[in-house]
Amino acid sequence: MIAAFRAELVKVLRRRVLVITAVTTAVFAAGSAAVVLAAAEPAGARPSDRGITVASLSGAGGGTEVFTTAVSFAGTFLFVVFVGVVAVEFSRGTFRTMLMYQPRRLRLLAGKTVALLAFAAAVLAVTEVLTWTAADLLAPTQDVSTGRWLSADAVGQAAADYGSVLFWITGYAVLGTTLAVLVRSVPVALAIGIAWAGPFEHLLQDAWDPAGRFFPGLLLEAFVAGGTSEVDATRAFVTVAVYVTLAAAVAGTVFARRDVTA
Amino acid sequence: MNTALSTQGLTKRYGGRVVVDSLDLEVPAGVVAGFIGPNGAGKTTTMAMLLGLVRPTAGTGSVLGSSVADPASYLARVGALIETPAFWPGLTGRENLRVLATLGGHDPRRIPELIELVGLAGRGGDKFGQYSLGMKQRLGIAAALLGDPELLVLDEPTNGLDPAGINEMRRFILELADGRRTMLVSSHILSELEHVADWLIVIDDGALLYQGPAEGFLRRVPTVVALAPEHAGDLDRLAAVVRADGHEPRRDDAELTVPVDERDAKAVAAALNKAAVEHGIVLTELHTRRPSLESQYLAAIGGER
Repeated sequence: MIAAFRAELVKVLRRRVLVITAVTTAVFAAGSAAVVLAAAEPAGARPSDRGITVASLSGAGGGTEVFTTAVSFAGTFLFVVFVGVVAVEFSRGTFRTMLMYQPRRLRLLAGKTVALLAFAAAVLAVTEVLTWTAADLLAPTQDVSTGRWLSADAVGQAAADYGSVLFWITGYAVLGTTLAVLVRSVPVALAIGIAWAGPFEHLLQDAWDPAGRFFPGLLLEAFVAGGTSEVDATRAFVTVAVYVTLAAAVAGTVFARRDVTA
Repeated sequence: MNTALSTQGLTKRYGGRVVVDSLDLEVPAGVVAGFIGPNGAGKTTTMAMLLGLVRPTAGTGSVLGSSVADPASYLARVGALIETPAFWPGLTGRENLRVLATLGGHDPRRIPELIELVGLAGRGGDKFGQYSLGMKQRLGIAAALLGDPELLVLDEPTNGLDPAGINEMRRFILELADGRRTMLVSSHILSELEHVADWLIVIDDGALLYQGPAEGFLRRVPTVVALAPEHAGDLDRLAAVVRADGHEPRRDDAELTVPVDERDAKAVAAALNKAAVEHGIVLTELHTRRPSLESQYLAAIGGER
């Protein structure tokens, strides 16, 4: 698995990829910090749907609340990225090439997924720092106090928020990888992925309130938001963990057993 | 005889369709084995089973002494280029090789040497997506050689190449076939293999038609001396002359063919020419026709399709 992990990093840690990622991350951090701060309800007003108020942002976890709120909007995007990155290895025939160098299929798939997750984890850490910095610079414009953002509580909250987002992204990564392994075609996998994670679950939720307790995308959103009226964060975490374990088992079994003909 | 690879009853079925039908193969170590058959004969599927990409429906086999059921035990000693070369288009040729060297645990310090060997020096820093088909095939060969393999499996290595590229690939195969390495090269273009293969496997509809030394396959149809008289009306007289010289001719349109031993072909041609002249028959054609791989192959699969 280590060889597969390192090989994937050779692909990812190239100057071009790093530059594009760095620029995207910086733009995302600055833009999202501005949007989240602008969306915060002023003191005394009713909290927004996501519960962001100037008061909540002025708390110890205010700096990283901007981060979790901003990142949570990118769920569908991250899901689609993982679907595409894995499915393209099938459609391009590069899984066939890789299997001749690493025939232990589970190790190959695990190494690749873990490497992508490690890269995502590093990008998330940078995003958290950049979002915090951007929010710190922009906070005075919205009368958000940043006095407690560097307290010990804030550091603990930052670590907890980072852990939540990492779990959230792991969920999307494993579900996306599973869809790609099952479908193997980039356009079909992307169509299913976008339709499912985007409109399908949300339309279902509009029509049937309890959907938020059962469907993985909605559960992931609920978890990273710290829980919703339908499902609390702990239940969302446990249910998603079950889904992720099942999805990993399905992806591993199918990938290990199926003929590679493309 | 040391065996590089063998199969016993190797079979692949997709639903009710039998793609590879109970193949019993045996390829001696150190040979260049030509694996021939028409499109759809089952060559790629057989190779894919040997490389662990496709699971056999039935049968067993071994590659470099290890069971095909456990490809991880031998694939580090096997290099392969199967179907079209599949690499990452956004990575350079060198980066692609680095990914695969890392994945396979091969020494990445060999990459510059291999890039040079396959004639991509100066283009190793270009993106794979910008390569021509010939360059992609060459990179595929370089990738297959990363682990300095004992067995090299090349599936249609000249697919899509221009005549110069085909010639170069043929030369390349001969260079790589140093007697230390076994090569299994599939093709449906027989002229590619005629000059490089010393062992042949012929399959059709997934079933084995022939395997053994290339000479043995070529000897299945004899060398003939072909004679054509100036006037078609002289064919019967010419046949009588040939019979009188101790041969049994076969009439084939406006010519006669006389099966001969390869070593006697020149002497027989000279004697028949002399006898024809003595009987006042002018020959417009007199030549020795050696069996080609293509003619043998077409005979083996039951004529031209």
